[in-house]
Amino acid sequence: MNMQTTNQPIGRMTVAETALVEAFGAQFGELPGNGAVAGTRDRLLDDLKKAGLPTRRIEAWHYTDLKTLLRTVPEAAPVSAIDPLAPLVEGSVVLSVLQGDADDGASADGIEIAHFKDKLADGSAVAGLTALDRDDAIGRINGSFVRDGFAISVPANAELEEPIELQVLHAGGQIHTRFPVSFGAASKATIIERHRSVTDDAALVSSISDIVLEDGAEITWIILQSQGAADTHLGQIRVKLGTNAKLKLFVVNAGGKLVRQELRIDVEGEGADLTLRGVNLLGGEGHTDVTLVLGHNVPHTNSTEIIRSVVFDRASGAFQGMIRVAPDAQKTDAKMACNTLLLSDNGEFSAKPELEIFADDVVCGHGATVADIDRNHLFYMMARGVPENKARAMLVHAFVAEIVEELEDEKLVEALEGVISAWLERHA
Amino acid sequence: MPAVQETVDQVRRIDIDQYKYGFETVIEVDKAPKGLSEEIIRFISAKKQEPDWMLEWRLDAYRRWLTMEEPTWARVDYPKIDFNDLYYYAAPKKFGGPKSLDEVDPELLKTYEKLGIPLKEQEILAGVEKPRVAVDAVFDSVSVVTTFKEELKKAGVIFMSISEAIREHPDLVRKYLGSVVPASDNFYATLNSAVFTDGSFVFVPKGVRCPMELSTYFRINEKNTGQFERTLIIAEEGAYVSYLEGCTAPQRDENQLHAAVVELVALDDAEIKYSTVQNWFPGDAEGKGGIYNFVTKRGDCRGARSKISWTQVETGSAITWKYPSCILRGDDSRGEFYSIAVSNGHQQIDSGTKMIHLGKNTSSRIISKGISAGKSNNTYRGQVSIHRRAENARNFTNCDSLLIGDKCGAHTVPYIDVKNASAQVEHEATTSKISDDQKFYVMQRGIPEEEAIALIVNGFVKDVIQELPMEFAVEAQKLIGISLEGSVG
Repeated sequence: MNMQTTNQPIGRMTVAETALVEAFGAQFGELPGNGAVAGTRDRLLDDLKKAGLPTRRIEAWHYTDLKTLLRTVPEAAPVSAIDPLAPLVEGSVVLSVLQGDADDGASADGIEIAHFKDKLADGSAVAGLTALDRDDAIGRINGSFVRDGFAISVPANAELEEPIELQVLHAGGQIHTRFPVSFGAASKATIIERHRSVTDDAALVSSISDIVLEDGAEITWIILQSQGAADTHLGQIRVKLGTNAKLKLFVVNAGGKLVRQELRIDVEGEGADLTLRGVNLLGGEGHTDVTLVLGHNVPHTNSTEIIRSVVFDRASGAFQGMIRVAPDAQKTDAKMACNTLLLSDNGEFSAKPELEIFADDVVCGHGATVADIDRNHLFYMMARGVPENKARAMLVHAFVAEIVEELEDEKLVEALEGVISAWLERHA
Repeated sequence: MPAVQETVDQVRRIDIDQYKYGFETVIEVDKAPKGLSEEIIRFISAKKQEPDWMLEWRLDAYRRWLTMEEPTWARVDYPKIDFNDLYYYAAPKKFGGPKSLDEVDPELLKTYEKLGIPLKEQEILAGVEKPRVAVDAVFDSVSVVTTFKEELKKAGVIFMSISEAIREHPDLVRKYLGSVVPASDNFYATLNSAVFTDGSFVFVPKGVRCPMELSTYFRINEKNTGQFERTLIIAEEGAYVSYLEGCTAPQRDENQLHAAVVELVALDDAEIKYSTVQNWFPGDAEGKGGIYNFVTKRGDCRGARSKISWTQVETGSAITWKYPSCILRGDDSRGEFYSIAVSNGHQQIDSGTKMIHLGKNTSSRIISKGISAGKSNNTYRGQVSIHRRAENARNFTNCDSLLIGDKCGAHTVPYIDVKNASAQVEHEATTSKISDDQKFYVMQRGIPEEEAIALIVNGFVKDVIQELPMEFAVEAQKLIGISLEGSVG
């Protein structure tokens, strides 16, 4: 599937950079969008060309040298039709994006759903096609190549009974999707963003969700990334929280060869509350990097973040978590924890929990641990007749499942625990 | 913390008056011409009567430095330094090399008296209850006197200025110089390797426990002069040494550069305890003047069961860029870092440590306490790295920040890299104001608010103060008081 790399790299560009530039040239005519969108795509690709893919010399990419790690880029050619999967949670409204194209038949009661490609065609999506800063390679790649997705708007006061599942399925190739989702004031909803491969063919997926919570909205957003072992996943969510808005954000990574998940969250309304929980299941040869940039921009806001990772085989993982407290954001309460079980001598994990604080009346803290399973815990179990490998498996499972239980919704907990158990059975 | 109005007013008032070491010594000075070139390096080397290999080493470093770029990753902000607008060598004129105290310029003696540094051995001996401390006093580019040299020699300890050591113990210097911080290590370290003028050399032979505390006192006096000191401490098998450095400078409107390199080598079972009380001129209330303190400090636990402990109290300097580190090479070796960094006014601190675990069963401990007040920014930046073969490595890190006033910033940037599953790494950091509960508890017992805050701050830094040699702990505590005067009473 990989693009033939007989072409010489242009200038000092790498094979992957060259392939991206060439793919852009080849697709440009058929990518959806009006003149303004085309101009923006052009500019973003140009910036990407100038800056190149980020290296570890760029602080935000310290642990994921994309220039080195992204060796090849698969061809963007569409392949045969894929059927949507059953939803993770029974009864969910499924909005599927199959091989990069949003399903035409998708609809749901009480919410507005539009195809992102239509927003590109009429130009209304152009304002969102931006890079957040000069190191935002994902913004540039996605902005240049994005083809489709769903634009969703949940009206004020709406309470959605069943979860909405955004199902991004592919069978290799290049997939670039976008999900602008706004939640009206005091609305309540659960969204499951699910990225999966249906074949073992390599894929390059970039996906950005632009999430806006209006005042008082209470939202649960789950990202479940379980792509194939040859895949690259470049995910980004951009979140704005309004006054008294509550977001529970759960991120589960259980696949992919090269994964970068960026969570860019701005807390913009007083009384807002963020609960971030992450589970990284790392095995094989994969590299997974979760990078959080959380801005507490106004007074009286809370957040808690817990990231739990388990590392098997030759996998490597990284968590960068930056909490920024703006000068006037007094009474911020932010707590972050990053705990890792490093279960293989060939694996590695790096953590960089950062605090950047410009207000004095705050309570901020972070903790990070990296270790093997506690010998006392193991002893406790084995003293009760549990064989060592079973005891280890139980402790590893408990370590990550504990996080999922905080979802409270029984059906969601059960579904995610199922994913975790299945993964651990394959790897442990 | 949102300080009471009184405190806020006092913080505003805090300025150069608080810096009591800001006087200047008027003394005739022998200077190299301004600027940096191979000529200047040859001049410095000749002044110091150095052997050829030393000159070559310097020139190599200089040539390499020309190809390097100033680092920009630290959270500090300052106008570009014109490295050709500095004097790289300044020495008191009536100075012909360190000699007996009687021959030292009386102006200099007065300076040290004012600074409270005991240079007269008999004076130190007079106070029976006082512990004895051997002092190496470095004034601008040269060491003016080293006390207790003879007595230390009897114990086998070599304590002298590095210029002397290059002449008297060239083999030792050659063996260890640059072995921990290579000449090409980083921009400032490379500059230092090219132009370093003086510093201390300590060698504690096998099995010797250094009979007294050693200390160096650095003073920058001349205008537009950079101070580039180089310190090298070697503890052989089973040796122990405790070393303290202190620093001050006069108040000046322009910034001055201080780029030091400190190298520590601990062989099997050796222990080095290195304490710093850094009180360079921090600049005035408007952020004018002050020392740029760009320092590379690194210890190498080369031998098994060796231990290196860094303790620092940082209250001075306009800008601090400093990461005392430990390379834990020997099996069962241990590294420690205890730090109090207090910033006020417009000070910028970017400091922390690196613990590089290479050997088996190595352990490290990091305790960092940052206190920011005024319009200052205080960053902890640290790295804990557990290499693939470092079985059973342990690290515990705790970095806490306290904010006083709403114009300052406190930042924490820890890097934790683990490549061995048997490692156990723990990191915790908190940032907060003084809690109302704590304040209430103390005030309820009849202690006024300002004093209550001072008491709580003292409690906040206690873990680190405890690690300082006793007599310096008192000084450090006072220094913190002075630095925060007006903001905590």
